[in-house]
Amino acid sequence: MSDAIEVEGLAKTYNEGRRGVAPVKAVDGVSFTVRCGETFGFLGPNGAGKTTTINILTTLLPPSGGTARVMGHDVVTDAYGVREEIGIVPEISNIYEEYAAWDNLMFTGRLYGVPRRERERQAEDLLRAFSLWEKRDVLSVGFSKGMKRRLCLAMGLMHRPHVLFLDEPTSGLDVQSVLVIRDMIRRLRAEGVTIFLTTHNIEEASQSCDRVAIISYGHLAAVDSPENLKATFAGMQSVEVAFTGGDAGAAGLETLPGVHEVRRNGDKWRLYTDVPGQVIPAVVDCARSCHLTIASLNTLGPSLEEVFVKLTGITPPARPAEAMEGNGRGRPGAGQRRLG
Amino acid sequence: MNDTQGWRRLRHEAVRAWIIAEKDIRIYYAKPPVIMWGIALPFFMFLSWSVGRNRPAGALIPGLVAITVFFTASSIGPVVIPWEKRVRTFERLLTAPVSLPAILLGKTLAGVVFGLAVALVPLLAGLALGAQVSDPASLIAGLVLSSGAFASLGVLFSTLPGQNVGSVMMPATLIRWPLLFISGVFVPLAALAWWGRVLAYLSPLTYANDIIQRAMGGEGYLGSALDAAALLVFWVVFLLAGLRLHELGRQQGS
Repeated sequence: MSDAIEVEGLAKTYNEGRRGVAPVKAVDGVSFTVRCGETFGFLGPNGAGKTTTINILTTLLPPSGGTARVMGHDVVTDAYGVREEIGIVPEISNIYEEYAAWDNLMFTGRLYGVPRRERERQAEDLLRAFSLWEKRDVLSVGFSKGMKRRLCLAMGLMHRPHVLFLDEPTSGLDVQSVLVIRDMIRRLRAEGVTIFLTTHNIEEASQSCDRVAIISYGHLAAVDSPENLKATFAGMQSVEVAFTGGDAGAAGLETLPGVHEVRRNGDKWRLYTDVPGQVIPAVVDCARSCHLTIASLNTLGPSLEEVFVKLTGITPPARPAEAMEGNGRGRPGAGQRRLG
Repeated sequence: MNDTQGWRRLRHEAVRAWIIAEKDIRIYYAKPPVIMWGIALPFFMFLSWSVGRNRPAGALIPGLVAITVFFTASSIGPVVIPWEKRVRTFERLLTAPVSLPAILLGKTLAGVVFGLAVALVPLLAGLALGAQVSDPASLIAGLVLSSGAFASLGVLFSTLPGQNVGSVMMPATLIRWPLLFISGVFVPLAALAWWGRVLAYLSPLTYANDIIQRAMGGEGYLGSALDAAALLVFWVVFLLAGLRLHELGRQQGS
């Protein structure tokens, strides 16, 4: 078998056929494959359809249309077969807080039919690998967020799954937990485990994944290697600078070499460029000559929204709250204008 | 799937249902909502009804046992399932190699064990106070079948909308409460008007109270065999209805 996951025309509409409630199309005709042993990143902003897709692939939700198979098992007609093959680490660590770490792993092992000796050996190995061995008898209600996530990942690996679903595995975690989890992902990858990783962090996907799919508003925009996608993003890098003590609008930032667009975000100016390394010294020189003081200076990658727009050439439908608030790095909106 | 595979799968499902029940027993029995809604509330309610009445303790015990089984067994489902949905451990069960019927059976078993264990307290206290068991087999069958019917009623209650225990437990209690007054616990069936008896036949508590009353030397209104059969039917019907509603909710992503 060469493909661990095969998805064809997958669709999910919520509130379908419910009177008085507008149907919401969360996933709309998504198709992709994930090869055995591959680490596959599934990127998209909040509400893009990532979690719905993962919920369908893990048999939590039935699809409205299309097909999906995991290790050859259909998610609708052979959900039991799918569940035996997969491990899941959801975005929210769903451990039993009333149990100690050891008991969480024992329960999971029993639920998956792992024989007693094997589950004890496996539990010890995992707790040591995740730096939780010393805390094995402590109730997990007192664990930090990072410890809970590590325990959740250990629970997902108790039955040695062939495919592991990781939903935002390092989001909001402390550095130690991030490093432990990334190391484990590398080890699993070396062992040939297929990993399906959802994230909204391009950099994380870039570091961990063989290929990446980008989804937004239920549509798949691209599936490619991180390097190929980065090449697509090259023209969307930017330098963000904030000044004090002068009129930056009159400084002529748009005329700096290598800058092809300038937008204003509140008190910050964002300079779009292919060559941020060349633009930074030019900004410093410009500030000096205009008697401006640099309050902050950062280089930024593109947001997923920008990548989506770039890749598809379409503008996603406006979502009232998101369109204006977002992360302040997307399309021109309130507080943004072109210079000149 | 051939017969051997079918039996193996059935055995796996049964084992995993018990593993889930065991986990629920260890984790949730001591949760405050279970103690409050399942033990304290029926106990104090019974106390307020019985204190000052000139009846021997032995005559009150069968009713107390029936109420205890009713409230305790039916408390596990509406506490545990919304709780697990809120903290998303229910998803962990749904994505494990175990079917939804086995998961709900596990929840029911946890309710059955809870109902039986707590019912032993008034039963043993009653025996110490002079109550007698005239038909042990009927008593055991009545307690087990009642616990099963009420525990699966709890699983059905857990399909009420909401992931907050309170928002599920309140309407569940509103449904449970009136059943006390039409089930022959406080007012004997024979003393009810004809329409009252018709309503009583719709309540599983009627059959639980009747079989326990008869097994403890009281006067039953219906036959023990009929009581047992009715409780078994309620057990199956509540479980199937709960399964159907949980399945519908899952399709909508709730």
